[in-house]
Amino acid sequence: MATLGAPVRVSPLIKFGRWTALVTGILYGRSHFNSLKAKEAVIREEETKKQAIRDAQLAEEKLKNNKQEMIYLAGEAGVKVPPNF
Amino acid sequence: MRYAKVELVPPTPAEVGGVAQGFNNIMKSAQTGAWKNIPVKDAWRNVLVTTEVLCWFFIGECIGKGTFVGYQV
Repeated sequence: MATLGAPVRVSPLIKFGRWTALVTGILYGRSHFNSLKAKEAVIREEETKKQAIRDAQLAEEKLKNNKQEMIYLAGEAGVKVPPNF
Repeated sequence: MRYAKVELVPPTPAEVGGVAQGFNNIMKSAQTGAWKNIPVKDAWRNVLVTTEVLCWFFIGECIGKGTFVGYQV
């Protein structure tokens, strides 16, 4: 860099403002992060519960659809459906 | 490095009086309407300094939340 010249005597108000802004930012960042983390923990727990229920429902539906498709295919292919299917 | 030592150091207790003074200056100029009479160059410089001070808040927020972009929940 070219010669930058002597360092400036920054006004105390500006220095004070900068440092308070920095400290306020750090505190705000930390507190906001903690609050969001707490909320996300609650949401995640609910999601895992719902996911278990949803998985069970999906599996059941899949089985039913599978059965119906097999019966239909048997009809198309001319295969007799065994009585206990 | 010497720039940082002079310009970025937090205000010493001796300078606290200067803080109140600077603040009163701003309040007074806002009241008397003297802020309308400063040259554009000075006004522009004030705007830039203000945005810089406000940006330190966002830097602090990044430090507090741990990442640059977004919160890692």
